[in-house]
Amino acid sequence: MATTDAAAPESAPDVLSTDDLRVTYGKVLALREIDLTVREGEVVSVIGPNGAGKTTLANTVSGFLDYEGSAEYRGREVADRSVSDLVSEGLIHCTEKRDLFGYMTVDDNLRLGAYRHGEDADERLEYVYDLFPALAERTEQNARTMSGGEQQMLAIGRALMGAPDLLVLDEPTLGLAPVILEDISDAIEEINDEGVTVLLFEQNVTFAMNHADRIYLLENGEVVREGSPGELRGDDYIRESYLGG
Amino acid sequence: MGLNLLAVAAVGGAGAPAAILQSGVSNIVVNGLIISALYAVVAIGFTLIFGVGGVLNLAHGASITVGAFGAYYVARVFGMGAWAGLVAGVLVAAAFGAALYLAMIRRMEDEPIMVMILTLVTAVAVEQFVLTVEGSQPKAIPALVGGVTRVAGTNLQHNLVVVFAVSWAIILALFLFVNYTDAGKALIATSMSRKGAALVGIESDRVNLATWVIAGALAGLAGVFLGSFQTAHWAMGRAPLVLSFTIVVLGGVGSIKGSVVGAYLIGFLEVITTRVFDPRLQTLVPLVVLLLVLLVKPEGLFGRELAEA
Ligand SMILES: Nc1ncnc2c1ncn2[C@@H]1O[C@H](COP(=O)(O)OP(=O)(O)OP(=O)(O)O)[C@@H](O)[C@H]1O
Ligand SMILES: [Mg+2]
Repeated sequence: MATTDAAAPESAPDVLSTDDLRVTYGKVLALREIDLTVREGEVVSVIGPNGAGKTTLANTVSGFLDYEGSAEYRGREVADRSVSDLVSEGLIHCTEKRDLFGYMTVDDNLRLGAYRHGEDADERLEYVYDLFPALAERTEQNARTMSGGEQQMLAIGRALMGAPDLLVLDEPTLGLAPVILEDISDAIEEINDEGVTVLLFEQNVTFAMNHADRIYLLENGEVVREGSPGELRGDDYIRESYLGG
Repeated sequence: MGLNLLAVAAVGGAGAPAAILQSGVSNIVVNGLIISALYAVVAIGFTLIFGVGGVLNLAHGASITVGAFGAYYVARVFGMGAWAGLVAGVLVAAAFGAALYLAMIRRMEDEPIMVMILTLVTAVAVEQFVLTVEGSQPKAIPALVGGVTRVAGTNLQHNLVVVFAVSWAIILALFLFVNYTDAGKALIATSMSRKGAALVGIESDRVNLATWVIAGALAGLAGVFLGSFQTAHWAMGRAPLVLSFTIVVLGGVGSIKGSVVGAYLIGFLEVITTRVFDPRLQTLVPLVVLLLVLLVKPEGLFGRELAEA
């Protein structure tokens, strides 16, 4: 297994682990033999080109897709629980498409994020508005009228309202300008510092390398490399194919 | 539309022809107000199912029939009185909605065409069942309250006042439920994004079941009301189904406010057509409006803005 940083020692318990995980769409095999481990406190990134299976994997571990093999969250099989149970247990998924409530305000979207964690919703709301001041400036704006970057912040903010233990982020950088990328970047750091484990799916390899303790490279539904950012930077194949030589 | 009519009434003055005009107008206004409230109750259930589940429930009219005959049996056949009949009608129709969802719809939520076919078959089956068991003879459900008051030159049945008051109480209660309770917001959230709702931990199965139960109960209530100031008969659900379609197209999907506005537009149009022109046009009005709106403004008169309601 690859090296990890001090924040997430080898001894930290597994939050998520898959074993020979396979997913098919009809007859098409979308994921095969996926062995993925995410330990408490880590930022783990899964990188890969378009169509590699990142979104499929994200949807699978958060309970939206049927699978073969094993995928355990907190030591229990994902398939044995409903999505809403997983949400209650702190597995929160922020999707590639964001799936916001378009005709609701920022405030309502965020409050619904705490649907399963009503008690400290006000505190968490304050935390999210601190993290993303851009959201605090438009609490009454309808989600669908916001810019792509603002919507991404709202999607992450809504996920944080659910008090995540494991935050699954599917391509949070998709289509965002560099300035906003910075904001998202800082937010991920801060969220992880608060003790939230992060599973980050990314096509932006540089972005992933900046954050991840460990990285898996997914191609055609298979993990073809795994290791620390340092190890992968030294890998010829990765340098040539993903880091521009 | 209502305002225009009132303006005509005010201009009418005191002369004899004007008095007749005035009573005609107040008759239209009173009836329009009441019938529209009832239409809103019918349409809200239909639009909730469409908005939340994304499916058209063609058995919505059948729920009306089920409610009406539930009330007829308890009130008339078992002789337990009008109010027991009302409660029974609502409960039976709510159970009918729940059964439809649990037995069929839940399995094909992602196949709207299948849902249309299944609910259409169900609607026909309910009609044929009632026709076979009860025959084609209309049945009267006893009025909830008796008596008549003269208001502004028109006779007003107390029963209709109850229909109006209960309908509006329910519309307001639903509005408050949807906008100010967690469960209500979960319902609206599901209507906007099913995946989004699942992501925050809302169980779409339960939300869907709730909408089918609510829609069934509302349709049952409407069935009891319709049966008590008109009659209950095997095909009584057809016109309200078309009406629901039209109102939802007018008022926007999944919107309570939109349904109420749409119901009042249609209700008044219908009352005016039947009183001023020809009663036989009644069922034609919503159909014509439906066609016109679909041709001219298929996104509805209000778009989706109203969906927050
Ligand atoms: N619902 C589906 N039915 C059939 N095939 C699907 C479905 N969803 C995804 N696929 C296929 O599975 C493969 C993996 O798709 P996936 O969306 O997981 O890739 P991705 O890595 O997230 O890509 P991107 O970076 O473009 O988001 C693709 O070939 C895609 O066409
Ligand atoms: Mg993807």
